[in-house]
Amino acid sequence: MATNISTRPRSNPYAPNWGSKIIKALTNFVPTLVAIVVFLLIWQLLCSGPNATLPGPIQVLQDTWDPLIIDPFFQGDGTDQGLFWQLAASLKRVAIGYFLAAIVGIALGILVGVSTIMFRALDPIFQVLRTIPPLAWLPISLAAMRDAQPAAIFVIFITAIWPIIINTGVGVQNIPQDYNNVAKVLQLSKPKYFVKVLLPATVPYIFTGLKIAIGLSWLAIVAAEMLTGGVGIGFFIWDAYNSGAISEVILAILYVGLVGLLLDKLITFIGKLVLPED
Amino acid sequence: MTAFVVIDHVDQVFPLPNGQSYIALKNINLEIRKGEFVSLLGHSGCGKSTLLNIIAGLAQPAAGGVLLEGRQVTKPGPDRMVVFQNYSLLPWLTVRQNIALAVDEVMKHLPAQERRDIVEQHIDMVKLRQAADKTPGKLSGGMKQRVSIARALAIRPKLLLLDEPFGALDALTRSGLQDQLIQIAQEHHLTCIMVTHDVDEALLLSDRIVMLTNGPESYIGQIIDVPFERPRERMAVVNHPNYYALRSEIVYFLNQQKKAKQRKVKQAAIARNGLEKINLEIGFVPLTDCAPLVVAKEMGFFQKHGLEEVTLSREPSWKAIAEGVTSKRLDAAQMVAGMPLALTLGMGGKVPTPVVTGVVLSRNGNAITLSKRLYDEGVRNLADLKGALAAAPDRVHTMATVHPASMHNLILRYWLASADIDPDQDMHLTVIPPPQMVATLKAGNIDGFCAGEPWNTHAIKENIGFVIAHDLDLWIGHPEKVLGVREDWANQYPQTHLALVKALLEACEYCDDRRNRPQIAELLAKPEYVGAELEYIRAGFLDPYDRGDGKPPEQLLRFNQFHIDITNCPSRAEGLWILTQLARWGITPFPRNWIEILDRVRRMDVYGEAARQLDFPDLEPNREPFALFDGTVFDPDDPIGYLNSLRIKREIRIEEIDIDHPAIVVAA
Repeated sequence: MATNISTRPRSNPYAPNWGSKIIKALTNFVPTLVAIVVFLLIWQLLCSGPNATLPGPIQVLQDTWDPLIIDPFFQGDGTDQGLFWQLAASLKRVAIGYFLAAIVGIALGILVGVSTIMFRALDPIFQVLRTIPPLAWLPISLAAMRDAQPAAIFVIFITAIWPIIINTGVGVQNIPQDYNNVAKVLQLSKPKYFVKVLLPATVPYIFTGLKIAIGLSWLAIVAAEMLTGGVGIGFFIWDAYNSGAISEVILAILYVGLVGLLLDKLITFIGKLVLPED
Repeated sequence: MTAFVVIDHVDQVFPLPNGQSYIALKNINLEIRKGEFVSLLGHSGCGKSTLLNIIAGLAQPAAGGVLLEGRQVTKPGPDRMVVFQNYSLLPWLTVRQNIALAVDEVMKHLPAQERRDIVEQHIDMVKLRQAADKTPGKLSGGMKQRVSIARALAIRPKLLLLDEPFGALDALTRSGLQDQLIQIAQEHHLTCIMVTHDVDEALLLSDRIVMLTNGPESYIGQIIDVPFERPRERMAVVNHPNYYALRSEIVYFLNQQKKAKQRKVKQAAIARNGLEKINLEIGFVPLTDCAPLVVAKEMGFFQKHGLEEVTLSREPSWKAIAEGVTSKRLDAAQMVAGMPLALTLGMGGKVPTPVVTGVVLSRNGNAITLSKRLYDEGVRNLADLKGALAAAPDRVHTMATVHPASMHNLILRYWLASADIDPDQDMHLTVIPPPQMVATLKAGNIDGFCAGEPWNTHAIKENIGFVIAHDLDLWIGHPEKVLGVREDWANQYPQTHLALVKALLEACEYCDDRRNRPQIAELLAKPEYVGAELEYIRAGFLDPYDRGDGKPPEQLLRFNQFHIDITNCPSRAEGLWILTQLARWGITPFPRNWIEILDRVRRMDVYGEAARQLDFPDLEPNREPFALFDGTVFDPDDPIGYLNSLRIKREIRIEEIDIDHPAIVVAA
């Protein structure tokens, strides 16, 4: 038998080798790449006429290469900051508003989910308020806060909170009856029920809410900053438009899109860490 | 205070969206002893899980209540732990954490180390050591259910409730877990209530099987005591002589429920031809002596007497016949001779249901068959049998009869007792439906039986038994099968009852003409009637009777007697003999008012009227003492003196039996 062992090939025949891994990565990636190239080509073609109102991709790249792309960390006076700082300022506002919305939203969601009376009392109000477009809140919040910075954060908060409340509430109401029966039969204490049953069972719903909310808040921040001014990617876009620098607008929009995608992925990633596998 | 759990007149009602309400359970009454394993069995939607939830406290009944150790159940609690059908493990906790959650919460008073030990001990008990740190998502269904059982047992519930615990598992996993549950339940003396729809599972695990009827308004249709001894083992249970009889009884119940669901609206009585009801459902058991019913139907005697829509319902056992008549499912039925009396007296602690008989359908026709093994041991007659019993005192000899109130049981006991064999002490007697006798004898689960044909001949032809005695050796011309109807039915449809008796009298006369018998035998062999080989049916009925003991077959002209020699008269003296034997063996008390009972049950008036209308002689046998094969004289004027003179007997209860105002029966 020993000969058998020594003659057996060392490598695991079922493990994919490097070649096939690369091929697999390419097959995933190539269509995306092709689509981007085709998109850029069409864009370039559409905007290469003499009457084109918008710059083509090459034009955008030429206009913004120096200093916007190569020096994102530039720090000047007032609103004259590199794109990194513009994005960072926006993200900070989103982070504060979103964080507050998450805390208040989850708490209110659980309240509405657990108590039928609270559900009946609050749900109609939520349903009306959640349909109000984010920017419609801005005048009220400016009037109330008398300052652009907290007003923008409030808009983020009020935009992000509804999907969190509603999804959390649904999650609590949908805790499988089986889990509740187990808790009832064991006569679990209230705090223990909350920690061991309610919260874990609701987490998937909470994360659905959080994911929707992060997308909405990023949408809202750009609009809010356009109106409130100050350092931030929204005002940067508005400012660039007013100066006729369309290429800068396009670059900033691209950055907004990429950051939005990253934020979404970030919440999904955190959700994966927290959620039970089953 | 013997009951551990009392389910006291529980009703459950659910409101419907249209404002009406759905009555799921109606008047459920059940008492459960400590350490008992009870199964709730029924079709889906019969409310068995609803009942379990009420016991668990997860739902409140609309009326009535549940007591556990004398305290009312008002909310769920760990003393009534539930093993849910879908396991209900928390998926975000590991196996260990799931069990620990229960233990930590319920056993707060114990030190942490002790609680940990309990958790570990139960992980080992269900053999999940390897999977202790896995989450339920990574376990198979069987493993999940084991965790669920471990979690339930770890908190030491007073009562374990199992809701179809193995329903979702494959057969192999299921049987493994059932074995484990038997063992655990036995070791810890658990009191369990299990909901199931699996007949074999219920038989394997339970001490009692409570069968619920279909909803709406489900009630307890029947409770079956499972007599298998504990500790129990799968193979021992399956090989128990009563296993298939019990199993078929349960399956029969479930089939009845299914039929009832399909039937829903029972056909109303159709009155025609001057009769109150011409659409009758008449029960019979597949035996050669069901011939009068088959002949009346096939040869048009029912039709002739105006009963145009008679359906013959083939029933699997005599118990099913009794149930069918008392539950009003059947209008009438072929019955073993003692059944109308036993039902009227309330046999087996049941509420007395007066049942009357206006005609005896057949006499003789039975035989006592013993296994080939006893033949090989040299048993040829009763004395040899006694010798064989004495020679093997450690072996339990089991014999089967078809119903406690049947002549088979009474004559077999009489026969055994005549040789000083106590049928209950020296042997074990059990009840098995006639069509299952041969299979049970073949399996070696019984050593012999007393039944009608063709089942004795079948055993002989299979070469697994021989006839040690038949009716002509024991009591020539004893009443064997009678027509039984409920007394209230007979009072409601007197003309129909009379027409039925007349049709059967003519059919009986037809059956006794030997020229007709070849044709009758062929009718009987049909699958919708007896469904046995023609050759088996002809034996004794037409052909010489082979006892299977090597002697040449002999022609027995009176083996099946349907008409001659006043066969059809339900004479009261014979009824009285039956009453004495029912009392002798403790099957019913002996009624002090026996004259009244016999007068009501054995309807000589109906018989006489029918005979006169048909120009048959309206004769009753002479009222004089008679004797069986052993010569002991039975004097119909002194039944109690006769009972007292018998040597082997059970304790005899003599009671005044008031049929119309039965004493309220209190369940033990």
